[in-house]
Amino acid sequence: MKRKKLFCLLLAAAMLVTLLAGCSGDKPAQDTAANASQPAADGGLGETGGSAQTSGGDAQTAGTPLADVRVRQALAYAIDIDAIVETLFDGKAEKAVSFTAPGDWLNTEIPVYEYNPEKAKELLKEANWPSDYTLDVVYYYDDQQTVDLMTIIGQYWQEVGVKAQFRKLEGDLAGQLWVPPADMVNGPAAVKWDLAYAAVAALSESEFYNRFASTASNNSSVPAQDGLDELIERSNATMDTDEQKAAFKDIQQFVAEHVLAMPLYHQVCFIYTSNDLDTAGSVFGNDQFSYEKNILDWNINRDDHTMYTNGGPQEFFWYPMVNPGYMLSTELVFDKLIRADSSLNPTDGMLAESYTVSEDGLSIEFVLRDGLTWHDGEPLTAEDVKFTLELMLKAPGTNAVASETMQAITGAADFMSGAAGDLAGVAIDGNTITVSFDKVSANALLVFSQWPVLPKHCLENADPAALQQDPFWQKPIGSGPFMVDEVVLNNYATLKRWDGYYKQGTGNIETIYMFASGENDSNLVINATAGKIDYAWSKSTDEAKAIEALDSMSVNVANIRYTRCFYINQFPHEANIK
Amino acid sequence: MATYTLRKVLSLIPMMLFISFLIYLGIELMPGDAVDFLIPPDALATMSAEQLNAMRESLGLNDPFLVRYLKWLGGLLQGEFGYSIQSGVPVATLMKNHLPATIELTVTALVFSSVFGVLFGVLSALKKGSLIDQVFSLIGMAGVAIPQFLLGLICINAFALHLNILPAGGRMASAGQSFVERLPYLLMPALVLGFSLTAGVMRYARSSMLDSMGRDYMKTARAKGIPEWRVNLLHGLRTALTPVVVLIGFRLPMLIGGAVVIEEVFQWPGIGSLFVNAVRSQNTPLVMMIGFFSVLLVLISSIIVDIVTAFLDPRIKLS
Repeated sequence: MKRKKLFCLLLAAAMLVTLLAGCSGDKPAQDTAANASQPAADGGLGETGGSAQTSGGDAQTAGTPLADVRVRQALAYAIDIDAIVETLFDGKAEKAVSFTAPGDWLNTEIPVYEYNPEKAKELLKEANWPSDYTLDVVYYYDDQQTVDLMTIIGQYWQEVGVKAQFRKLEGDLAGQLWVPPADMVNGPAAVKWDLAYAAVAALSESEFYNRFASTASNNSSVPAQDGLDELIERSNATMDTDEQKAAFKDIQQFVAEHVLAMPLYHQVCFIYTSNDLDTAGSVFGNDQFSYEKNILDWNINRDDHTMYTNGGPQEFFWYPMVNPGYMLSTELVFDKLIRADSSLNPTDGMLAESYTVSEDGLSIEFVLRDGLTWHDGEPLTAEDVKFTLELMLKAPGTNAVASETMQAITGAADFMSGAAGDLAGVAIDGNTITVSFDKVSANALLVFSQWPVLPKHCLENADPAALQQDPFWQKPIGSGPFMVDEVVLNNYATLKRWDGYYKQGTGNIETIYMFASGENDSNLVINATAGKIDYAWSKSTDEAKAIEALDSMSVNVANIRYTRCFYINQFPHEANIK
Repeated sequence: MATYTLRKVLSLIPMMLFISFLIYLGIELMPGDAVDFLIPPDALATMSAEQLNAMRESLGLNDPFLVRYLKWLGGLLQGEFGYSIQSGVPVATLMKNHLPATIELTVTALVFSSVFGVLFGVLSALKKGSLIDQVFSLIGMAGVAIPQFLLGLICINAFALHLNILPAGGRMASAGQSFVERLPYLLMPALVLGFSLTAGVMRYARSSMLDSMGRDYMKTARAKGIPEWRVNLLHGLRTALTPVVVLIGFRLPMLIGGAVVIEEVFQWPGIGSLFVNAVRSQNTPLVMMIGFFSVLLVLISSIIVDIVTAFLDPRIKLS
């Protein structure tokens, strides 16, 4: 399939090139050579450790001007992100100085590149920025706000003498964006772009920074850096939060000093509640993932005790392997072993009555509650937990953080390769499950607080490689406080309060009515205006503004780990725009 | 007529094969594949090429284009419509689930637009130049000129959000609701769709009626002393209906293809929105079957139009 496409593209490209050559005469592509002949410049701020590509000198000699840290700094200095946040986002976003959002995890000592066009020009001059070079900037979002943002940034760069062309990527995004080069020190790059506008919706800090490691399977833009792999390794080798914070702060320092990528802004999560809904003082948090909302204590001011929301299934209920909690239905239908608070910190047990982490962090013991059942009445046992962990290992779409934890479980490699029939690191003794790890998995508790336990009796015959396509996801059976009741695909679905849940709340919500929608619900504002949304969330500033204007609705804001940024291709590569 | 119909039906086979190949090729030439939709772009960065390849393999996307097309065609000839790549649900089930909603919407709109379009068009022609004619012409112009999505949003704003007398969208609030209970959901999308369709029928009917009113056979009929209403209805309207029938006939594929814009605006769970999602997510089996049946209906409509036209106008011979 790919070869066929490639052939068609090559054919079309060849025809186009022939046509252009016929029209405009031969024009040798000598930009790279011309660039390479420019004189070397002095080292700049990039001298503080880092590979040959980032340690100053003339950027052109490294195969791309972006290998010069001064160029990357200049691009950052040239953008007035404060003005963009205030105007384009109406102040409903937060300027990013790092991938890490403000709070306990942020190193406040890192270099900040405040808007300074003169400084940008100076750095570009020092680095002998080739004025005929046009940056190839790619993005993959199809909203107008992204187009506006790209236009504005293009103008900022133009003001300091940097030309840029922006293009939207279509099709195989992973192949175009995240393929690492064969040689992580010298390149050349396996991708064509200079900068890629993207976002990281991170569950843990490691999702922001693991990708900068020279061993990362998705590091397509940052060559191996002296000392960085060790820092990343240190952050992943402990479950102690203080040690993790210290390690991540060092990484932030490194990333900021070398401008390995360019964080732009943190998006926030807008949580919409109607005046008919009393959320009993619940603290709102990152609704992209699961956290304890105490929904059983919520009250709705409707005679039929129905709460309206969106996120109902269009063609199926989303399976939780990729995104475990961004649909309310997944969160309420499926319980996890551990509960998380609104900041996604693991707290107490959920399906597990208790859990204990060994002193060396190499094993976790869960004790399940007595008498747990699934919504269909079948008993929920430790076998279901083991089955779920095995399924997560086999399902190709499992999120990277969860996958990393699963692969750290003892015997995971043998189970994956088929050498072992089951996962040796999961031992069952009645209601007690002990998960043993070959190495410390820093995010293990986080993973067990987000990924739900799935019913073995429903999914044991499912093909893990095509898990989403299993009929189970047409009307799933879980163990959470609400069970799936009615499903009219692409119209609505209802969840019903489940009497068999181990905990009974004080609230009165009996039914949750979900309008069918994807993550982005184009009908959210209309339905909210019509009084048919009691609880919903989105990251759209336009929707937040529209709903804010409604008397019947309130908009709550939660800071989340969601950072928009530019990845900068620092590997040698030919200019894509000539 | 039987020979004509048989010949036409047989000619559908090569045509359908060719068109189905073109649709399959069209999907193939779109960038990316179904896996790109199954994994959100932001999450793609966290997946390895091996993981993505395993998903493609399990969904049969790694086979060469022709192999996949022939597999699909082979399945179709054996009465298997395939499975949705996204959900694994049989395409036949998906169509069975969504078709009633689309038929409900489009039949209502087609009946509404056909009846009122012909009625207003004929009245307009008979009262040419009068106030009625001018009002109907204005309505016709508005119906053609106002985009469906805009009219839909205006109606939602007025009737659902301000007057609060009709629901803003959806088809039902509970699966057990009867047609009468579901009527409030149907009213607004059907009327908005019907309004746009009425305008076209009305303009066709008016100009066609005006054309036939000036014909010799109308004068002959009047000269024979036949009452004016009979002249208009039996002689004038019958021949005037020919182009109108052609127009209505070619709208029949909407029954399968759905009314994409209206279904999106009114959150109507029909084939149209299913088709849009299928194209977006490159759900080839689903796109193929909806496309296949839409094309089939277009071709069948064309045969029906020929037959009805011959029936309405004795001068037309089927050959």
